[in-house]
Amino acid sequence: MTHDRQQDAPRTEVGRNVTKIDAFKLARGEPVFTDDIHPPGMLWAKVLGSPHAHARVLEVDATRALALPGVVDVAWHAQVKAIPHTRAGQSHPEPSPWDTVILPPKVRFIGDRVAVVVAETLEVAERALGLIDVRYEVLPALTDMDEALARTDVLIHEDPDPRGIAEGGRTNVAARIDKQVGDVEAALKSCDHVVERTYWLPRVQASHIEPHVAISWLDEDGRLVVKTSTQVPFHLRRILARILELKEADIRVIKPRVGGGFGDKQEMVMEDLVALMTLRTRRPVRLEFTREEELICARVRHPQRIVMTTGVMNDGTIVANRMRVTADTGAYGSHALTVQGNTGQKVLPMYPCAHIHFQVTCLYTNNPISGAFRGYGAPQGCFALECHIDEVAKVLGHDRLELRRKNHIRLGDTDPLSAKLGEGKEGLVRVIRSTGLEKAIELGCEAIGWGQRQEPTAPHLSRGLGMALAMQGSGIAGVDWGAATVKLNEDGSVNLAVGATDIGQGSDTVLAQICAEELGIRYEDVRVLSSDTDLTPFDVGAYASSTTYVSGGAVQKAARAVREQLAAIAAGRWECTTTDVRFGEGQVSGPGGKAWTMAELASHALYQAKVQPMATASHLSNESPPPFAAQFADVEVDRETGEVFLRRFVSAVDCGTPVHPDLVLGQIEGAVAQAIGYGLFEEVIVDAAGRVRNPNFLDYKIASALDMPEMITILVPTEEPSGPFGAKAAGEVPIDGPAPAIVNAICDAVGVRIYRIPATPERVWRQIKEAGE
Amino acid sequence: MRMDLTLNGRPAQWEAAPGATLLAVLRDEGLVAAKRGCETGDCGACTVLLDGQPVNSCVVAAARAHGHRVTTLEGLADDPLMRRLQDALVEHAGVQCGYCSPGMLVSLYHLLRACRAEGTRPGDHAIREALSGNLCRCTGYVKPVAAAAAVAAALAGIPATGTEAR
Amino acid sequence: MWDLKEYRIAGSPGEAVAMMRRGPGKGVYIAGGTDLFLFPPQCDYAVDINHAGLGAIARTPDGDVFVGAAATLHHIATNPFVTGYAGGLLAQAAAHCGNRPVRSTATLGGNLCNALPSADLAPALLALDAVCYIVDEDSQESLPLEDFFEGPRRTVLGDRLLAGIALPAAGAGWRAAARRLTRSAEDIALVQVAVALSVADGRLGAVRIALGSVAPVPMRAMLAEAQLEGEAVADLSPDRLADAGLIAASECDPIDDHRASAAYRRQMVGVLTRRLLAGLLAEQPRNDDQGSAA
Ligand SMILES: Cc1cc2nc3c(=O)[nH]c(=O)nc-3n(C[C@H](O)[C@H](O)[C@H](O)COP(=O)(O)OP(=O)(O)OC[C@H]3O[C@@H](n4cnc5c(N)ncnc54)[C@H](O)[C@@H]3O)c2cc1C
Ligand code: FES
Ligand code: FES
Repeated sequence: MTHDRQQDAPRTEVGRNVTKIDAFKLARGEPVFTDDIHPPGMLWAKVLGSPHAHARVLEVDATRALALPGVVDVAWHAQVKAIPHTRAGQSHPEPSPWDTVILPPKVRFIGDRVAVVVAETLEVAERALGLIDVRYEVLPALTDMDEALARTDVLIHEDPDPRGIAEGGRTNVAARIDKQVGDVEAALKSCDHVVERTYWLPRVQASHIEPHVAISWLDEDGRLVVKTSTQVPFHLRRILARILELKEADIRVIKPRVGGGFGDKQEMVMEDLVALMTLRTRRPVRLEFTREEELICARVRHPQRIVMTTGVMNDGTIVANRMRVTADTGAYGSHALTVQGNTGQKVLPMYPCAHIHFQVTCLYTNNPISGAFRGYGAPQGCFALECHIDEVAKVLGHDRLELRRKNHIRLGDTDPLSAKLGEGKEGLVRVIRSTGLEKAIELGCEAIGWGQRQEPTAPHLSRGLGMALAMQGSGIAGVDWGAATVKLNEDGSVNLAVGATDIGQGSDTVLAQICAEELGIRYEDVRVLSSDTDLTPFDVGAYASSTTYVSGGAVQKAARAVREQLAAIAAGRWECTTTDVRFGEGQVSGPGGKAWTMAELASHALYQAKVQPMATASHLSNESPPPFAAQFADVEVDRETGEVFLRRFVSAVDCGTPVHPDLVLGQIEGAVAQAIGYGLFEEVIVDAAGRVRNPNFLDYKIASALDMPEMITILVPTEEPSGPFGAKAAGEVPIDGPAPAIVNAICDAVGVRIYRIPATPERVWRQIKEAGE
Repeated sequence: MRMDLTLNGRPAQWEAAPGATLLAVLRDEGLVAAKRGCETGDCGACTVLLDGQPVNSCVVAAARAHGHRVTTLEGLADDPLMRRLQDALVEHAGVQCGYCSPGMLVSLYHLLRACRAEGTRPGDHAIREALSGNLCRCTGYVKPVAAAAAVAAALAGIPATGTEAR
Repeated sequence: MWDLKEYRIAGSPGEAVAMMRRGPGKGVYIAGGTDLFLFPPQCDYAVDINHAGLGAIARTPDGDVFVGAAATLHHIATNPFVTGYAGGLLAQAAAHCGNRPVRSTATLGGNLCNALPSADLAPALLALDAVCYIVDEDSQESLPLEDFFEGPRRTVLGDRLLAGIALPAAGAGWRAAARRLTRSAEDIALVQVAVALSVADGRLGAVRIALGSVAPVPMRAMLAEAQLEGEAVADLSPDRLADAGLIAASECDPIDDHRASAAYRRQMVGVLTRRLLAGLLAEQPRNDDQGSAA
């Protein structure tokens, strides 16, 4: 490398609250989402969902449906080639089992795909569903994970060799993990105290306000175009190419504006269906989920049961930690291994100790499909661990804050578990090279008034404070990578093309800031094109908190390469060395007072030197530096009704350099809102027959403006040496801590522990009642 | 069935199915600022004004528009109050994915227009009440509420002109 | 989409009933539609009653407050006659239904005719001795609201129309308060209790305890009411109020569902009834038309 960006130069673009690049068009309601513009001649698709939780589809007769005027085509399993794959949008080779085909001959949950119909109007398509005659052989349904584990007479995936199923065809286990550092069993014997508790985590749904929606058509060259609300356009293209037997070059995936994803769109939920029907009918096809379909057929956070066992000494030293996870992946194994892996890997390192044991049994059931959801396993693990630390403190009679302070991870610490647990394979050792955790704890305590419980506002209320610490990652070390192309125009403006997917979090904006900073130009001079597989370079997509850190690294490299090209051009003209050329504030300067605006230099490059300053760079990180959060809740609990009133919530978050402080705050505030729901009222309730009881927003409650407490959000900047301009990730870490902080506060207020969230009024009431008896 | 209505300040005629929702017809007409989020009246992505009142157009019959006034975000594009709200929402980084933004803006517009007429200034709780029907999964409502509060503080100076004021 | 063949707009209550009976096929009244569009029933036509002159709220010459069936929840929540009646109990119940945009179109009639156990206006109206007015093509009938509900989603109406309800003048000065328990701020109520009572010369006059979401239909806890009516306020110790709560709890008939258990609901009826009674009895004596905070 010839030279770095001038380290001494003050940053002007990174760290500035620029106007989010797409904000105005969104605020004006312009037609920028997938469903806002329809191609001419478009057909409307609907999916016939299984009424049974587990059944063989013996026969499908679409005669009556096809006779309905306006119905164009109906497809079911017998007509479609069955190529096993996973719908999880992960890097190849996916660590999720290839246990899916486009239309399965055996349905495995209520709502599973039986047939797909396309018609001239949505109404006709809906009506046609009722006219498809299906004969099923109903099979026993396993909706309880312990039963699924115990039984081998009923197998949800009995196929002989679907790739990657842990115990393919012999049991219902979708994934197992058993990793140990040291020897926990032996270590526990020498501890002064061993504390063991069990925690239960609910099934919750991402509930992005824009449902899954995709539209496909054939372009004038007969290539398949899929416009879709996705987080993973490139993974999608790869999977589609394989299962539809097309060349990747014959598929174009376009990601327009996306109305939220949160992991739920890191999955091929429907794109294969529209593509299939477009290929069959040669016409544009559109499919959108209703909210009911979202809550039944999209993905949910894995429900888990976690048994935590901790060995401690009287002085509060944590000697050994064991986490045993039983998880429900539902009908298919999307992210089964990796979400559960994260439950331990992203969480247990918070309290380093010599002996760590992490075990997972993840089961297939005939429940809705679990998958990726912001936090990706960590919210479950963090809930268990952070509640457990409070329990340990109680057993020891120690202060829960001091116990955390004594044991939490510090600068320079290594995280031995990460080495054992990569993305489905051996991982990489993680060393903490930046941390603001101590500062976050300090500032958070100050903001909430730790140690000074406020007065309750009514006699039947009790007040309490709770806290939780959290860490996550920044991309998947050694796996996640992205590329970016930077192209300078003749007036000094820049086109930045990235495969990274902006799904509302603002990554286009942040990447433009990084590009501008590196080139020494203004953010306002950068235009971003994101995620069109024809036009932008590859990126794994928006997940695992990777975009700023990993894709940002690619942008920085590409911009640096362009800067080097420009330096060479300027040096040639000025007859100096490239190291004498300096960039900054829209200016390029050389020795002896020589200076050009970027526009002059660009014009010189294109018309005199006759070169296009342009570069594409790829960036992989072999590290995944953790962002940290310390979060605090102040609650009041009604001792008689069990209602919990969350009064204040404090988050202090270290995400490295906040490239756009307001967007980072927005990430934190939004994550907290989701996690308040996780802690207090969100749950997709599935009955013993496998039916979702509350598949609508009338009854599946997500936080409204009236559910939010007073929010205090504090950024604790650090400089991460491996990140672009010192940045780490911010999108996921703040979703981990709120639920345990709230539950710890409930315990502080009324002295009872809630082991199962959400902490609904009835659950809290029951615990209080039982404690009183 | 045929309907005659005032759409964004101008007379309009629609031909729609008797059971169609207002949202379905608006989107068919190319007015796509109102979004489909739940179709059960819960999320507010589809909020528009019917005779100046905020409604969830997914649970209102299109036929209700016959003889009435329907105003969508598009129809308020030149309204000074709406523009201030849009600017404030953008400046406060209250737009993340933006899917909820049109609905939120219509609700906030309705609140602030009424406050301006009454000469009152809504507090935090009144703003949250007004947004109670607009679910946002991205922002946690902090920045949208701050944006509305900022506009509320300067309300008296914003002229009452535009589609809805007429 | 709702597969309707025809949307009829009625200009008067009588015309609405006539349009409903005209056929062919099956019809349904539509007011706000906020319920109908969620679960569209199989039918051929809808009869819109929003232009039938039923949207008004008025005080009658006898001092009753009449609320038209097509009055919107927002209108009810903000109308001075309603906010000024019995501590604004009905206004608050309306203000707690759904969310702001829903309240612009959702109506009193829809809320009651839906006849859900959780209908939010019902406990308040029951507690206030509301009378409902039912119209036929050319006749009218009135009956106490208690007799209106027959079961979940069943009323006495048949194909007749609810024209509105009246809150009797006598109750205007009652003390009243209500509480609904929910999982989140905007939620279907798990339990609702509304209490209204009158105090004169240190004694309780009328006592009304109405419950929602804890029985097949919204109901009154009459045994609990009877325990309290006529009692001297000074004699009503916290234990007596707790007893009244327990009696109310024993009168209800809740079910287990995915939102809450029957046991919890029943207990909460006791707790909320006791608290509401205590709160109302602790209120300072006041003029008839002063509002009281819930
Ligand atoms: C997002 C949302 C939240 C909600 N929250 C609540 C809540 O918190 N509490 C609550 O109680 N309800 C709630 N509801 C349900 C519903 O909105 C209300 O019950 C509302 O008052 C229904 O009124 P409507 O005019 O919209 O009814 P419609 O949908 O028009 O009608 C409902 C039923 O009543 C019949 N009907 C209407 N008027 C008459 C009449 N005058 N005579 C005879 N029959 C008639 C109709 O035929 C239909 O069967 C909610 C609904 C939504 C969409
Ligand atoms: S789409 Fe209308 S409220 Fe959600
Ligand atoms: S900004 Fe995404 S839903 Fe509100």
